[in-house]
Amino acid sequence: MSTSLYGVIALVETAIGLLLVARLAIGPTISDRIVALNTLSTQATLAVLFFAAFADRAIYLDVALWLASFSYLGAIVWARYLERGLL
Amino acid sequence: MKTIIFIVLASIGLAFSLSGAVGILRMPDLYSRIQCSSKTVTMGALPALVALVVGEGIDSSYASRALLVAVLLLVVNPAASHALARAAYKAGVPMWQGAVRDEVVERKEQQKAKERARRPDDGGGEG
Repeated sequence: MSTSLYGVIALVETAIGLLLVARLAIGPTISDRIVALNTLSTQATLAVLFFAAFADRAIYLDVALWLASFSYLGAIVWARYLERGLL
Repeated sequence: MKTIIFIVLASIGLAFSLSGAVGILRMPDLYSRIQCSSKTVTMGALPALVALVVGEGIDSSYASRALLVAVLLLVVNPAASHALARAAYKAGVPMWQGAVRDEVVERKEQQKAKERARRPDDGGGEG
């Protein structure tokens, strides 16, 4: 497996994330921004995973794992704030 | 052979991620955007992670982390989407103009009508 393919995939995931940054900027309500941020964190997780395979550094995998677990915690906390008005 | 499987899985994942991102950008409504967001995870992220597992081999350190991330996304993403949609509905985010039906409002009106029909009977029975 050529490692440059991993780098291409990481770049494409980052470019997809830029579309989500546009929604994050123009989202009319706060919920739109939360949805965009949630999806953006998934794309960032994938990009970090493929960049770890591209750069051949297994330590970056833990960054991706952390990102995948804590971004959803953040989304659930935001949802709770929207629903009840307190954190 | 391994390269072909890797390329097919990765392009499926990238295509679904791209379509989900375009959907989040173009959909008229928050609830449609939430639906696009969960499609991005289930059909976009999972094939890409399986592609990483295929490319690096099942016994590498990449494969274990990728499968762990896949299980995490599968478990937590529906819960987060559901919590977000529910919180947005309760916070009063409007639906799209062309939305066909709102079952929560219909159910509440049915319950209200049922209580209104029952209340005179109860009052008469007690009195």
